[in-house]
Amino acid sequence: MKNFLYTFILVFSASAVMAQLPQPAEPQPNAILLKGGIAHLGNGKVIQNSLIGFDEGKITLVGDATRSKIDVAGYTVIDITGQHVYPGFILPNSSLGLEEVSAVRATRDANETGQLKPHIRSLVAYNTDSKIPPTLRYNGILVAETTPMGGRISGTSSVMNLEGWNWEDAVLKADVGVHMSWPSKMGGHFDFSTFTWIREPNKKYDSQVEELVSFFDDAKSYLESSSKERNLKMEAMTGLFDGSKILYIRANSAKEIVQAVRFGQEKGVQKIVILAGTEALDAASFLAENKIPVILPNVHSLPSSDEVVELPYELAGLLTKAGVTIALSHNGMLARARNLPFYAGTAAAYGLGKEEAVQAITLNAAKVLGIDSEVGSLEEGKRATLFVSKGDALDMMTNNLTHAYIDGKTIQLEGEQQALYKQYSDKYAND
Amino acid sequence: MKRIILAGCLILATVFASVAQETFPRNDVRDERVEAYALINGTVVVDYQTTIANATLLIKEGKVVQVGAGITIPKGYIIIDLKGNYVYPSIIDPFTNYGLPTEKHKRGKSPWSNAEQIQTTTKGAFNSNQAIKAEYSAASKFSVDAKTAKSLRAQGFGAVLTYRADGLARGTGALVTLSTDRANEVLLNEHATANYSFTKGSSTQLYPISTMGFIAVLRQTYLDANWYKAQSPRPFKDISLEHWILSQSLPQVFDANSWLNALRADKLGDEFGVQYIIKGGGDEYQRINEIKATGAQFIIPINYPKAYEVDDPFEAKDVSLAKMKHWELAPTNPGVLAANGVSFAFTAKGLKSAKDYLPNVRKAIENGLSEQAALKAMTYTPAAMLNATNQLGGLQKGKIANFIITSKPIFEKKSSILENWVQGTRYEFKPLEKVDFEGKYNLAVGSTQFKLEVSGKAGHQSAKIVINDTTNIKLKSKFGEDLVEFNYSPQEVEGLVRLSGWTTDNGWEGKGQLVDGSWINWTATKTGDLDPKEEKEKDKKEEEKPALGEMIYPFVAHGNIEVPKTETVLLKNATLWTNETEGILEQTDILLMNGKISKIGKNLSASGAKVIDATGKHVTSGIIDEHSHIGASSINDIATNSGMVRIGDVLNPTDYNIYNALAGGVTAIQILHGSANPIGGQSALIKLRWGASPEEMKIKGADGYIKFALGENVKRSRNSNSIRFPQTRMGVEQVYMDAFSSAVEYGKKWSSYNGLSRKAKVGALAPRRDLAMETMLEIINKERFISCHSYVQSEINMLMKVADQFDFKVNTFTHILEGYKVADKMKAHGVGASTFSDWWAYKWEVRYAIPYNAAIMHNAGVIVAINSDDAEMGRRLNQEAAKSVKYGGMSQEDAWKMVTLNPAKLLHLDTRMGSLKVGKDADVVVWSNNPLSVYTKVETTIIDGVIYFDAQKDADMDQWIEKERARLIQKMKATKKGGGKMQKSHGMIPKSFHCDDLTVDLNTLNQ
Repeated sequence: MKNFLYTFILVFSASAVMAQLPQPAEPQPNAILLKGGIAHLGNGKVIQNSLIGFDEGKITLVGDATRSKIDVAGYTVIDITGQHVYPGFILPNSSLGLEEVSAVRATRDANETGQLKPHIRSLVAYNTDSKIPPTLRYNGILVAETTPMGGRISGTSSVMNLEGWNWEDAVLKADVGVHMSWPSKMGGHFDFSTFTWIREPNKKYDSQVEELVSFFDDAKSYLESSSKERNLKMEAMTGLFDGSKILYIRANSAKEIVQAVRFGQEKGVQKIVILAGTEALDAASFLAENKIPVILPNVHSLPSSDEVVELPYELAGLLTKAGVTIALSHNGMLARARNLPFYAGTAAAYGLGKEEAVQAITLNAAKVLGIDSEVGSLEEGKRATLFVSKGDALDMMTNNLTHAYIDGKTIQLEGEQQALYKQYSDKYAND
Repeated sequence: MKRIILAGCLILATVFASVAQETFPRNDVRDERVEAYALINGTVVVDYQTTIANATLLIKEGKVVQVGAGITIPKGYIIIDLKGNYVYPSIIDPFTNYGLPTEKHKRGKSPWSNAEQIQTTTKGAFNSNQAIKAEYSAASKFSVDAKTAKSLRAQGFGAVLTYRADGLARGTGALVTLSTDRANEVLLNEHATANYSFTKGSSTQLYPISTMGFIAVLRQTYLDANWYKAQSPRPFKDISLEHWILSQSLPQVFDANSWLNALRADKLGDEFGVQYIIKGGGDEYQRINEIKATGAQFIIPINYPKAYEVDDPFEAKDVSLAKMKHWELAPTNPGVLAANGVSFAFTAKGLKSAKDYLPNVRKAIENGLSEQAALKAMTYTPAAMLNATNQLGGLQKGKIANFIITSKPIFEKKSSILENWVQGTRYEFKPLEKVDFEGKYNLAVGSTQFKLEVSGKAGHQSAKIVINDTTNIKLKSKFGEDLVEFNYSPQEVEGLVRLSGWTTDNGWEGKGQLVDGSWINWTATKTGDLDPKEEKEKDKKEEEKPALGEMIYPFVAHGNIEVPKTETVLLKNATLWTNETEGILEQTDILLMNGKISKIGKNLSASGAKVIDATGKHVTSGIIDEHSHIGASSINDIATNSGMVRIGDVLNPTDYNIYNALAGGVTAIQILHGSANPIGGQSALIKLRWGASPEEMKIKGADGYIKFALGENVKRSRNSNSIRFPQTRMGVEQVYMDAFSSAVEYGKKWSSYNGLSRKAKVGALAPRRDLAMETMLEIINKERFISCHSYVQSEINMLMKVADQFDFKVNTFTHILEGYKVADKMKAHGVGASTFSDWWAYKWEVRYAIPYNAAIMHNAGVIVAINSDDAEMGRRLNQEAAKSVKYGGMSQEDAWKMVTLNPAKLLHLDTRMGSLKVGKDADVVVWSNNPLSVYTKVETTIIDGVIYFDAQKDADMDQWIEKERARLIQKMKATKKGGGKMQKSHGMIPKSFHCDDLTVDLNTLNQ
C-alpha cells in the first residue's frame, strides 16, 4: 500500500512537471501583426514604432507605424508598444542536440571516432527532445547550427529551428557545411607542475597539411570522374566545390588562417568561413580583402597575460572596424550557450555598437550559415522567426521574452526550469 | 671547548687519512712519498678577502702547511714557479648528485584514470608517506665518478655536496672532493646536510599531489618526529623518522627553486624553529625584500635563460613580457642579492654544462656583483654552509689543499684554469709557463736584415716581417721554450726560406736554408716592445653599463613599476549603491581616507584629496567572490580528509587573473580548495592587492574557512578505476561521521592532557598532534567554517544533519544548485548559499539546476551570494548577479548584494566590507553605468584606499607593455646578431583553475 502510494505520488509529480514541458507548436493559424514595438531589423536598422506582420510562416509586413497608413486588415494585432522585437537569434557552431550532460558519456553524440569524416552528419542525431533548446529559446535563440566535433574534418553540420517533433520537422537547412580544423603549427603538452600548456612546434604540421591536400584533391577528382565506385567520404565533400556547402575552418594563428584560406581557395572551395579568436586580428586585412567571414568564440573569455585586459570584449568591434564580417558563437559548457545575447551585449559596450551587435547574432550569423535568404533579419518574405522582449534583449537585466515565433508558429517559452521555479516558489509560499 | 673538539677532529681526520690507506692490501712494495710542494712567486688568493702577491704556498700530504710572502722553503719541498699566475681556493658546489647512481623511476600513475595507491609501497619499516625518504644516505651510495670529476675539475671545482633529489625529505647529503682517489679518501663528511623539497619524487602514493599537500606532509612529519622522539621505547619502529630526528642537527637544505617556494619553505621552517638553507630559482630579485627577510642563506643557480627567437612578430607573441624581462634581469640576480646582504653560494645546478659556470659568474659581475662577493659565493659561503670552513673555502694553514691555478685573475674573460689541485693531488690542464716572446726584433738572415715582430698571447704567438707600413710577410712559426722554427716566402723569389734555431738571452739564433738550398746562419735580436695598441674604443664599450628595464610588481604584464599606495580619494556627485538602508543615493560624494570610508554626503571636501568627478557614474563597494580559484599555485589535494592542507600556504600573487578580476571590480575573494575530497583544504581570504607579497594579500583577522565537497567529484565519478573511499553518497556521510567523532575523541585526549598539573605533564606523554584532526576540532568548536560544494538536495540535507549531531552549523553551501529544493531547511539551519547564476547540465548531478535557484533561496530568507569558481566569470560577476533580475525578478539592489554584501556576510567580513558605510574598508568601485548593466565598465577599483585599477592607467600600461616588449625584442635581436645563444619562443599558457582541477605534479614524479 505504501509502495503504491509512493508510486502514485511519483507518477503524479512527474506528470505535473511533464505538463509544463514545452510542446512542439502548431502551424501558424492566422496572420499576426506586432504593433508598436521597437524593431531591431538585424541588418543594423531600427524602427522605433514598428509594424511587423507575418502570415503562413513568412514575414509579410515590416513597416513604420508613424509613416503613411499601412493596410493591416486581416491581421490579429498584438500590441507590443514599448517592447523590442528582434529576428530570432542564431547560434552557429554548437553541439546542440548532440550532447545532453557532458560528463556522462552515454549522452554525448558530437564526436565520432576518426579524423577525416565529412560523411558524419549531425542532422540525424539531433535530439529535438533535448532539455537544452528550451532554455536557449527562453533568451531569444531560435535557430542553431548543430555541428559534429573532433578530428581533422569533423563532419557535416545542419541548421535547426529550435522547435519541432523530430529532426525532419526541425531542420531549417540540412547539411550546410563541412567543419575542419586546420593543423596547428604549434603543438604542445600540458605541464602539471606549473599548470601551464607548454607550446612547442608541431613536427607533424607538414604531413597533416599534406593529408588535407590529397583528401581535397581526391574529392575533386571523384566529383569530376565519370565512372567511380561510391565513396561516402568523397561524396560528402563534393558540395564544397559547387558552393552548395560551406567549408568551416578552425585556425589557431594568423599564419594558419592565411594558409587555411589559401588552401581552400586553391582547392576550388566556393565558400569559406573561418573560426578563430583574437588571432584573427593579425590577419584582419587579409580576411577583409578575401571577404572571409569569421565566427568568433565566447566574447566572455580571458585575455592572455600580455594582452589588453578587455581584448576578448573588443575583438568583435575591432574586426568589424577592419571590414571583417563576424558572427558570435559559444564554446565550452553547452548549457551556457543561452548567454549568446549577452555576448553581443558586451561586444556592443566594447566598440561594436548595439545594432551591429544584434546583427552579429542575426543577419551575420545567417550569412555564415548560408541561410540569410531565409532568416536573420526582419524583412518581408523571410521566415517569421522572431521574438518580442520587454526590454533590451542584449542585457541580462532586461532580456525578457513575451512572444516568440518560429516560422510563424507560436513558441511556448516556459519550460521545465520555469516549472520548477513555480513549483518550489509555490511550495514555500504555501508553507 | 668547541674549538678543541674541532681541532681534535681535524687531527683525527689527518691521521685517519693515512691510516685508511694502510688498511688496504698492497700488491707491491711500500711506496709512500713525501708529497710536499712549494708553490712560489704566484698571486695567492687565500680567501675571498685576502690576496697575497709573490706568495709562497706550502703543501704537504694534501694540506696547506703555510701561506704567505717571504716564507723560507723547508728542505724536501718540490718547487713550482707560479710567476704571473694566480692561485684560488677551488670552487665548491653545494648542490649536486655527483657520484650517486642514476635511478630511473616509474612514472606515477595519474589519479584521473587509475586506481589510487592509498598506502606506501616502500618495503620495510619506513615512513607512512612514501615521499618521506629521510633514511637515505648519499654517502652510502657514493662512488667516485672519474669522468664527471675530471670535467668538474677542469672548470675549477674541488669539492661538492652530493645528495639524491628524490622525495620531500631526501635524506642526507655527503661532502666529497673531486679527487679520483678511493672513496674513503674523498668523502669528507658522510652526513653534511639534510635535504628537502616540494616535490614527491619517486613516490607513487596518492597523497600528496600539490605543493600545499607537500607542506602539510612536512609539517605533520615534524610533529610526528617530535612525538616519536619523546617516547622510549618507541611506539613502533619508523626508520625514516629515526633518521629524520638524527639529521636535524645538520645544515637543513631546502630545494625551493623559486622565490615563491623559498618564502613557503622559510615559513615552514619558522614554524618548527628550522632555518633552512634555500636552493633558489635565480628569480629572487623579483621579491628581494621578502627574500631578505627570510634571513636564510641561499644556493643560487646561474642558469640564465637564453634569448628568445623573436624574428617573427606573430610568433614573438608567445613570449610573455615576464619571460623577456627575466631574460634581461636574471644576470642581475646575484648582484641584487649581494646588495641586499643576502648570503649565498652559487651552484652549477641547472647549467647545461659546468663550462658555463665561470662565464655566467662573470656575467653576474658585469651586472653588478662585486668580484669579491662572487668569489665568496664560489668558495667561502658554500664551505660555511656545509660547516666545512675548517677544511675548505680558503687556503689557510691546515685546510685541505684544494685550489686552482689560473693564467690571469679568474674573473677576466681570457683567464684560463691551468691546474686544479684536489687534496694535494695535482691535475694539470695547460702548462704553467708559456714563454712570452712578444716584441720587436732585428732579424738577420745571412746578410739580409729584416724587422721582425712577434705578437699575441704567450703560447699562441705569431710573427711577421715588417717591410713597410702596409706590407708584411707572415712567418709560419713554432715557438718553444728552447727551440724555434720559422718559414717564410721572401718577396724576390718563389719558395720558402726555412729557419731553425734556439733561444738566446735576447732572441734566437740558428741555421737555415734559403730557397735555392744554400745554408746560412741567422739571428733575431730583440730591439724593444711593440707599439701600444689603441684600445680607447674598447674601453669605452666596457664602461657602458648595460641598460636594464625596470622591475615590476608583480613580475608579469600589468605589474606596477611602483606599488600604489593608499590615497585620500574624494568621489564627487556619484550614484552610490550603499547596500545600506539608505539604498541608492543620487549625486552624493564619498570620501576615502586612511584606507577607510571616511564620509558620505553632499558637497564634501578634503584637503589634499584626489578628486574624481563621478557625475553620471555609479559607485559601489567592491565585489567579493565567495568561491574563487585564482591567485594560488595549487587547488586540490587528494586525501579523503585533506583538512590539513592550506591554500594560504600556496598563494600566488603573480597570477594575472588577479588583475583581470580587479578590472572587473573585484576587491576580495575566498580562494577555496578544490572539490576532490569530502573534506578539502583550508581556504585563504585575500584582497586583490596587486603587487603585494603572498602574506600581504591575506585579510588580517579574517575567520578560518574550509572547503567540504559532496557528490560526483568526491566519489571520483570520472575515474572508473577509482578505489578510494568513499564511492557513494552513503560513504560520504560516513566520512564526516568518522572525522567528527574522531575529532571529539581527539579533543578529549588533549583536554585531559592539558588538564594535567605542570608536574604531571612532565611525566606524561602529550598526545600525537594530528593536523587534520585539529582542523575538524576547530569546526566543531566554531573556530573554522565550512563552505561546502554541493549539488543535490539529499546530500545538502545530509550535511546539515551531520552538523546538527555535532552541534555546529554549516556556514555556506557553495554551488548548491538544488538549494531551491531545500531552501526552507537551509533557512532553518541558518546556512548561507553561494551559487552560480545559470550553470547546469554539465554533469549528471546538475540536471535539475535552474537559474531561479538564487531567487528562490533569497525569497526563502537564505543569504545568497553569486560566485564564480572561474577566473573568466570572476571578472564579470556583476553580469552574473544581474541574471537574477531576469530569472526570478529580484530587485536590482538585492541582486547587487549577492556579489557584495551577502558574500561579505558569508565570509564574516560584513562589518568591514560589503557596503558603502562610514568606517568600512575603502574597497570601492567606480562604474561607468548601472553596475548590473551589460553595458557598464569598471573605471576604477580601489582597495583600502589604494587605486589598484584605473581604466586610464590601464590603457597607459598597455602602451608601456608594447614599448617594453619592443625594446626587449630589439635587444634580443642584437644578442642574436652578436652570436648569443637563442631559444625558440615556446609559449606557456597558464590555465586557470576550477574546482575539479587536480594539480598533480606529474613531471616531478620522475625527478
